Amino acid sequence: MIALVAAPFGLKPYGIYLLSLWVVMTIAAIGLNLMLGYAGQISLAQGAFVGIGAYAAALLTTSGWPLWMAFLLAIALSLAIGWLLGYPALRVQHHYLAFVTLSFATLVFLMLRNEEWLTKGVYGISGIPRPTLFGWAAKAPIAFYFFCLGILTLVSLATWWLVRSPWGRAFTALRENPIRADSLGVDTRRYTLMAFAIGSALGGISGVLYAPLVQFIEPTAFNLNLSLNLLLMVMVGGSGYFLGPFLGAAVSVLLPEWARFGSDALYLIMYAIAVMVLMAFCPSGLLGLAHRVLKR
Amino acid sequence: MNPVLEVRDLAKAFGGIRAVNGVSFDVREGEILGLIGPNGSGKSTLFNCILGQLAPSAGEVRIDGRGITGMRPCQLNRLGVGRTFQLLQVFPQLTVRENLILAGQEHQKSMWGRLIGRRDAGLGEAADRMIEFFRLSALAQEKAGSLSYGQQKLLDVAMAFMAGPRLVLLDEPAGGVNPTMLAGLRERLREINAMQRATFVVIEHNMEFVMSLCTRVLVLAEGRIISEGTPEEVRADPKVIEAYLGG
Repeated sequence: MIALVAAPFGLKPYGIYLLSLWVVMTIAAIGLNLMLGYAGQISLAQGAFVGIGAYAAALLTTSGWPLWMAFLLAIALSLAIGWLLGYPALRVQHHYLAFVTLSFATLVFLMLRNEEWLTKGVYGISGIPRPTLFGWAAKAPIAFYFFCLGILTLVSLATWWLVRSPWGRAFTALRENPIRADSLGVDTRRYTLMAFAIGSALGGISGVLYAPLVQFIEPTAFNLNLSLNLLLMVMVGGSGYFLGPFLGAAVSVLLPEWARFGSDALYLIMYAIAVMVLMAFCPSGLLGLAHRVLKR
Repeated sequence: MNPVLEVRDLAKAFGGIRAVNGVSFDVREGEILGLIGPNGSGKSTLFNCILGQLAPSAGEVRIDGRGITGMRPCQLNRLGVGRTFQLLQVFPQLTVRENLILAGQEHQKSMWGRLIGRRDAGLGEAADRMIEFFRLSALAQEKAGSLSYGQQKLLDVAMAFMAGPRLVLLDEPAGGVNPTMLAGLRERLREINAMQRATFVVIEHNMEFVMSLCTRVLVLAEGRIISEGTPEEVRADPKVIEAYLGG
């Protein structure tokens, strides 16, 4: 935590932007980890929920509403839509569920692009203001980073509590053996829907921070690439590990930038190969690998 | 004495195959009923129809006089009905203690109450007692997946009793358990039956286990009950000898 507070000092604005982006993506990845890592429900729609949150923030704050209103709206929308998206998970699992959520992500992208009257379509929304909190303006990059870090801390504490509560145990049971869980009184339907709703809401919160971070949003930022990238973060960091999304988001957001300074043309190829090797030899991600090494 | 479980004309067909074909029986409070029959006679299908895992094609199931046909397994569990499965069903990534806490936690408070309440849902001591009762103390903090088959089987059975059920349906509890452990399991089941007045229905292929544990036995063949009585009566029934024991 001290390192995260000290990190932006001495960095240029682009460095602080990357650090803030890591914080924002970590929140969305925590949500996906809750769904996939703990409750065992695949979703390729997390990027769409980031989009829903970002557009809620952009539309409200550019119309003069405060950012906390955008948080309320984004959380309410994502909870409700996430809950509804959970219903197919009561019938289908694995790659079938992946395709259901993928279709939803495409639907959201098409709405963001085509419903110009609301979203301004491909022109995007610019001039998204950063918030002022109790008279403290989080407008400078470093101030906004601390604002995001504060939200990440709250999200992390809440998630930590959740996964260590009986709910976390029920999510694990749902992932490992839903039929047995059901026979032990675990209402697997309700927990599945809850996992989708809460995980999606964290995607929405991430989006509310993303919009004022970049200050200009357009639909392609929230297409399937983002959902796949978030899935990669969860898998690379370690699905089902609490710290997995933190590490996965760091690898996905920060590592490519760092590697780019070394060999401009080859960094993406090297990055892709590293991910392939990791997934082939350690599907439980970097934290799973560390766990295996420490156990020896 | 009023029956705890009433099954009336229960039937289940898979296409043209009638796996369960008009089965009726009662189970009285405190009874240990054995359900035996050759492979494919419909025992597990009957269990799954009673317990909401499968929707019966016809018939009715009542618990304490209340119709439960069509209820989901989690709703039945909250009515005090526990079960084990034919194949081992523990949660390998949870410890033995956590498996037991999970098995009882959904009976504690409301869903929201459990979210803000204690991590062990107030079941830590009950889980420890159950661990001791089933002689699993040395393994309490081990991941369930690291236990031997027999130990996992004991845990599986122990989980069915964590919520203090009135009725428990055990599907082949003795399968794959070594004779020493089996004697212990039989004793534990007898003790729980005596202490909690819990009612059991036990599917089992191990005849010695069934005959020594159960107070009454039903014999199923081709989806129908062909014999019913005390272990001694069933053992001597020519229909059973022909259909099941093979003469």
